[in-house]
Amino acid sequence: MDRMLFGTVALVTGAILTVLLPKNRVRVGVNLVSQAIACVCILSDTIPILFGGPELTGVLQWSFPVERIDLRIGAVGAFFLTFSLPMTFLGSVFATGYLAHDIRGPRHVGMHFALLSMVQLSYLIVYTVQNAFAFLVGWEIAALSAWLLVIWDSRNQKIRFAGFNYLVSTHLSLLFLVAGIMIMHGATNSFQFADFQTFLGQPSNARNIAFVLLMTSFGLKSAFFPFHTWLPRAHSAAPAHVSALMSGVIHKAGLFGMLKFILMVGQPELWMGWYLLAVSAMSAFMGVLYTITQRDIKRLLGYSSTENVGICGIGFGLGILGLATNRPILAALGFGGGILHIINHALFKCLLFYGAGSIYRFTHSIDLEKLGGLLKSMKWTGPLFLLGSLASAALPPFNGFLSEFLLYYGLVQPAPELGLGRMPMMLFAGVLAIVGGLSALSITRAFGLIFLGLPRDPHHVDPRAREHPCMIVPMVLHLIGILAIGLCPMVGLKLIEAPTRVLLSLSRKQPAELMTFVPHALINSLTLVAAIFVGVLAVLLVLRFALLPKSNRRHVTWGCGYTLPNTRMQYSGSSFSAPMVAVFRDLLKFLTREELPQGVFPKDGHYDTHCVDGVEQTMFKLLGNGEQVVGNVMRRLPEDTRFSFAIGLAGLLILVALVAMK
Amino acid sequence: MSYLLLAFHLAVVFVAPIFVIGIVNRVKSLWAGRRGPRLYQTWFDLVRLLRKTPVYSQVTSWIFPVAPLVILATTVTASLLGPIVPGYAPLGFAGDFVVFAYLLGLGKIFLMLSALDTGSAFEGMGASREATYSALAEPVFLLGLGTLAWAGGAHSFQDLVIPNGSWAIDAVLRVTFAGAMFVVLLIEAARVPADDPTTHLELTMVHEVMILDHSGPELAIVQYASAMKMTMLAGIIAAVLNPFSAMSYPILAVLFSGAFIVLVAMCVGLIESLIARLRFRALPLFTFAAFLAVLTSLVVVTANQGEFH
Repeated sequence: MDRMLFGTVALVTGAILTVLLPKNRVRVGVNLVSQAIACVCILSDTIPILFGGPELTGVLQWSFPVERIDLRIGAVGAFFLTFSLPMTFLGSVFATGYLAHDIRGPRHVGMHFALLSMVQLSYLIVYTVQNAFAFLVGWEIAALSAWLLVIWDSRNQKIRFAGFNYLVSTHLSLLFLVAGIMIMHGATNSFQFADFQTFLGQPSNARNIAFVLLMTSFGLKSAFFPFHTWLPRAHSAAPAHVSALMSGVIHKAGLFGMLKFILMVGQPELWMGWYLLAVSAMSAFMGVLYTITQRDIKRLLGYSSTENVGICGIGFGLGILGLATNRPILAALGFGGGILHIINHALFKCLLFYGAGSIYRFTHSIDLEKLGGLLKSMKWTGPLFLLGSLASAALPPFNGFLSEFLLYYGLVQPAPELGLGRMPMMLFAGVLAIVGGLSALSITRAFGLIFLGLPRDPHHVDPRAREHPCMIVPMVLHLIGILAIGLCPMVGLKLIEAPTRVLLSLSRKQPAELMTFVPHALINSLTLVAAIFVGVLAVLLVLRFALLPKSNRRHVTWGCGYTLPNTRMQYSGSSFSAPMVAVFRDLLKFLTREELPQGVFPKDGHYDTHCVDGVEQTMFKLLGNGEQVVGNVMRRLPEDTRFSFAIGLAGLLILVALVAMK
Repeated sequence: MSYLLLAFHLAVVFVAPIFVIGIVNRVKSLWAGRRGPRLYQTWFDLVRLLRKTPVYSQVTSWIFPVAPLVILATTVTASLLGPIVPGYAPLGFAGDFVVFAYLLGLGKIFLMLSALDTGSAFEGMGASREATYSALAEPVFLLGLGTLAWAGGAHSFQDLVIPNGSWAIDAVLRVTFAGAMFVVLLIEAARVPADDPTTHLELTMVHEVMILDHSGPELAIVQYASAMKMTMLAGIIAAVLNPFSAMSYPILAVLFSGAFIVLVAMCVGLIESLIARLRFRALPLFTFAAFLAVLTSLVVVTANQGEFH
């Protein structure tokens, strides 16, 4: 705990100095050094916990309303701290490249870096405190610093709007959180998590309501469907590293909250698992469905976050089912897969957002329909983005596959206790499969349009542009993480073993089967498959280029007889996803603006389609016209007798139901 | 005995693809009243292509020559996981069918990327169609195998195709799964009615249009890998319907599966001679029919879950 406190002091001092010192270079340097010191100090505390060391505890005294704050770093908190801190540090390193122009210029960038330090501080609070009040403070620090980071380019009205949208949504999440905490506070008259735990340990209606409220709040934080509306806007508005950190790291706090709550509940009920599974599966599916229609790379990646938190949530739901039916193997695979997917998603999503940032600095555009052919000029970003995308489509031998594999394996596990419930479990496996297929389409489309072919808009080709090494290095480090977990699954399993064990210890059964929740033989087989694949590929590469004819003969692409192709005639992003969109047309909402050429001598026409967020549209519509809707109902109530009868009957039914439930 | 099975497996995976394509073409020729090429004509075609010097499009990057190798590597690796006789695959472990499906997925992505690499609108169109239809086929495959896993209480690909439980239910499960698998095969291997490999119009193709700019060794590798994938999927159908387990009656099992792969190839040839390609708009419905079949078998298993583990 001492090292941890030292780290915190280093972080805060660094943040203050970053704002006060003169000259941008000095500020950034001091900030990075302070963050590095804090990371080393705190990781030296948390890593031993992750590998079986004892929990760390401590107490802070504060003034009146809070008085006593217990600090505890358990395995789950240690896991979140261990990936969040260094990844945020890498994000700050990326920022020195991404904001290189601003750092050279007159603008005070110290504020931006100080805010990154504050984000680090918020992890330290959220992941360690055992007091609801302090937890809320940490939650709020994270929300406000993320908001201020998003609106870095605040001169742009769109960005201010996106920031405001984010601010409102994140406070809606806070509202639900406060409501949930108030219920628990009302029942226990305390703000300590230890007291909440005794209350939540007993089944009650209040507990159920708290569960739904808290899941909604955490769902809003982590951008589960249909609470994701803030996310695509915020992600496309924020600087690349901020999007990366928000998506990969900061909003993982929502998933932490879920795990924390599950831990406090102890023995969950079946419906909680089904609820979480259903919400998460919907999130995964709708998230990935939206990615295939986006033309802004960062919006696309934002929706993909909704998909991936959904996949994590499927794992947690499965884990709850395992706990409720007393099947440790189910719980182990569910929680294990879900927790592993948290870090996997953090790794590849940060990499992809950094890639998007690098593309933006290179071409001044992140519009899929304008880019193309970047693989030849972006020697580093291209391959890195490719491997990151393959990981995000959960393909072997990359890390995303391992977590999805655990989930599939969990979903087809025998569980006679669930009875008919096994059928929906199979269907959830089917949902995972279609999500996999859709995300394969989506990454092929994104990578293919950005990096392959020819530039679609020559204005976005800048021959002087260079890739900044400060942007490349964090990407390479993330790739190393992806490959480490993908090629040696043991590494990934070691990382998640301690937090999964904590969750498993809730199970009433404590047999020896818990000791190796994923059989080592299975992991060895996965490693073997990865090794065979890499080996075969290497042999084939050598054979192909050593034995078979090579050539430098070049010719134009076959245009099917057309002799005057231009780069605008390449397949576009919207046409690429058109066949799939046609299948799921009813779930998506398109805005069409058209002015078709008419008459014998037509003027220029245009036709635009734009996939808008259906949920957001409905929400704005309700907010805009809500008064009118309520007004209409109010007017009809006294005028139309049948209508008022119907309303009255419905109200009566609800009342009777409530009385009967008592 | 396991050496025999291994030899059979490798022979089917590496040699049979040539004959499978040969059989399909022979059936089509006979139906059209021609004698048709030799059954192993594909072999000569491949060797000819391998000797040729490739010509690349000016637009392509390093993805283009590397992608065919990735496709072949994924297919070879996946082929070690997929069973051809029940109870035997060179590599088997719990949940390996997920690895199988996703490895093939990796190969497909590289095929699509190499198509997009040429910057051609036609090849982009092929990639888009391939992405769509194979994404829709994915749940059919995994849900079907998941159902068999539930019914059989087994978790590895080689074991879950072993007959288990009451024979009536088992027969229903196996036949529906084989039917759904056949649809997946037609889509994945780009055969009629999902796609027409011999059409001359680029606008109507899926798989063939993606390899318009491939030539020489690259073309040979892609075509060989695609034939290998088709043989593997035919092998899975054979394994599911095979009444003999590799452990008890290895010889019979091998003979049955071998004969059945020939039968599947003949069916593909017959279908290609008899019916026309479906409209693209109807393809999702075609996949959905297969999905319904799998869903039915899932309902059957749910209704009789007392009999299973």
